[in-house]
Amino acid sequence: MNSRDLLGGFFWLVLSVFVCIESIRNDIGTVHYPGPGFLPFWSAVILGVFAAILIVKNSSNLKLGKRFVELRRGMKWNNKTTLVICSLFLYPLVLSVAGYFIATMAFMTFLFNLPKRSKMWIEGMSAFVVTLLSYLIFQGCLGIRLPKGIFGF
Amino acid sequence: MSSFQDLFFGFSIGLQPLNLLFCFLGTLLGTLIGVLPGIGPIGAIAILLPVTFHMPPVPATIMLAGIYYGSMYGGSTTSILVNIPGEASSIITCLDGYEMAKSGRAGPALGIAAFGSFIAGSLGLIGVTFFAVPLAKFALRFGPPEYFSILLLGLTLITYFSQGSLLKALMMGVFGLILGSVGLDHIHASPRMTFGMMRLWDGIGLVPLAMGLFGISEVLGNIEKTTTRDVLKTKIKSYLPTVVDWMQAKGAILRGTIVGFFIGILPGGSTVIASFLSYGLEKRISKEPERFGRGAIEGVAGPESANNSATTGCFIPLFTLGIPSNIVMALIFGALLIHGMRPGPFLLKDHPDLFWGVISSMYIGNVMLLILNLPLIPIWVNVLKIPYRVLFPLILLFCIIGAYSLNNSIFDIVLMFIFGILGYLFRRFKYEGAPLVLAFVLGPLFEINLRQSLILSKGDFFIFFTRPISAVVIAVTIIVAIISFVPQFSRLRRKYKSSRKDD
Repeated sequence: MNSRDLLGGFFWLVLSVFVCIESIRNDIGTVHYPGPGFLPFWSAVILGVFAAILIVKNSSNLKLGKRFVELRRGMKWNNKTTLVICSLFLYPLVLSVAGYFIATMAFMTFLFNLPKRSKMWIEGMSAFVVTLLSYLIFQGCLGIRLPKGIFGF
Repeated sequence: MSSFQDLFFGFSIGLQPLNLLFCFLGTLLGTLIGVLPGIGPIGAIAILLPVTFHMPPVPATIMLAGIYYGSMYGGSTTSILVNIPGEASSIITCLDGYEMAKSGRAGPALGIAAFGSFIAGSLGLIGVTFFAVPLAKFALRFGPPEYFSILLLGLTLITYFSQGSLLKALMMGVFGLILGSVGLDHIHASPRMTFGMMRLWDGIGLVPLAMGLFGISEVLGNIEKTTTRDVLKTKIKSYLPTVVDWMQAKGAILRGTIVGFFIGILPGGSTVIASFLSYGLEKRISKEPERFGRGAIEGVAGPESANNSATTGCFIPLFTLGIPSNIVMALIFGALLIHGMRPGPFLLKDHPDLFWGVISSMYIGNVMLLILNLPLIPIWVNVLKIPYRVLFPLILLFCIIGAYSLNNSIFDIVLMFIFGILGYLFRRFKYEGAPLVLAFVLGPLFEINLRQSLILSKGDFFIFFTRPISAVVIAVTIIVAIISFVPQFSRLRRKYKSSRKDD
């Protein structure tokens, strides 16, 4: 009787329905001549069955209000984790515009500064050194073409 | 006796100074590439391929081969130390290797991985030397129905990867099958679940998926604990495996060698499949399966031996039949064609110096790798003492470069981050990543072979039971599946009986 498993079950159920619909669009074919949608469709059906089992297992004494409170308590997010996740979304956007060097230096500065253990300029210098070294090793020595931004590097 | 003579001839080629130098370069590069997460042997060989056009064919092939099996040695390092698979075939090493590192046993884990790789690579080479031709002929008898059966057996091993809920493990496995079908359909070439994005036509890459699920999610999970506390404060107890470790691991090394060698021989067999199969086998036959996932040394020794043995085995179909069994072999095939050599049945007759020279260099390369890797263990172990607040940004940086370097695509970085967040949520909801990755790897091959088999048999499912090899493998699969569900049924029966007693 676990609220997380109940929520998980509903997620998998919705996903299985979505994949079933997509698979039907791709043509399931027949058992004797499977089409492109055959394996995803039957995988989604099996996933839906498992999701239903999970939901039923965790639905006894369903008190929605209590479950919601329990879930909210259990899903408490750490602020630092939230910040890092947000930075993970921002980084590719900045990368495509500003290029590897600037985007990575900013990203590293943010990450080194997260625990707030030492002065910002030390974290900034560390980020600069790490980014420069990685740029020299991977682009310079190994020939990997790191993304260039509007500044040409 | 003629094999011995051929081998001595091979050593006369392999021990030439130029070939020794390129063997060393290849193994060194391979180890470094294996250590760096995301940048695998495929990328390295693709980058270095043009360089080899200016070299004679024998040292060129020796170097490329060295990169391939060297990366298997290096791939286990980051899997054990920071739970990020350095190479796709080291994914499964994360499960127990990292747990060993967390309990101060990183040294024995790295040591057994190095020794296991050496033993497996050496034994695999003996197999190649004496059994290349007859084994290649046996492998020719494998068609789509046989491959389908083997892959079905592989998928049933999902039941052995679960530490917690079997239901959740099965759900992750099925989700892996669904993720594996994203992209262009292999037979009709119609896009599936690509949402209009051409970048998804090639499907989801294994590297962004694995690095996200294991590496990024681990970092997110550790940030949550505290960024001020340093991980792994426990004293590093020793740098090499103990006698007890050897006693526990010796069987796993031998079994992993055999499993990996035969998987490597099969056209389509890969080091990833070999390592997963070996892990599943070790857990299944262990008297204490509950130790797996908690730092069982067999969980490191078996897969690492299997992946190294598979790298030597996969040279057999390439050299004797001209069939590259995986992408790396395909690149080496291309390199040989450019040098004017056609891999296949006539390679041994027309270019014995190449065939036996490469084989002998692999013996030499294995010794070089052991000498390279063992002294480095204390250095790698000291990486763990770096404060985590310094380590985790570096881990993220390596993952970013690794994901980007595959296709020079920012989209792969985005994918990796998405799977990283998903992996983090899976951890919080107590779902495991290993079953998903296994099904993701096997799913596309499983589907292709199923559909090809049904096309061959005009829709008749009995093809899987009328072909002898396929029938035997399916029978084994059914037995394995029943055995894995027996504990679940016993548990349910006990629960039902106790609830009836209470009533």
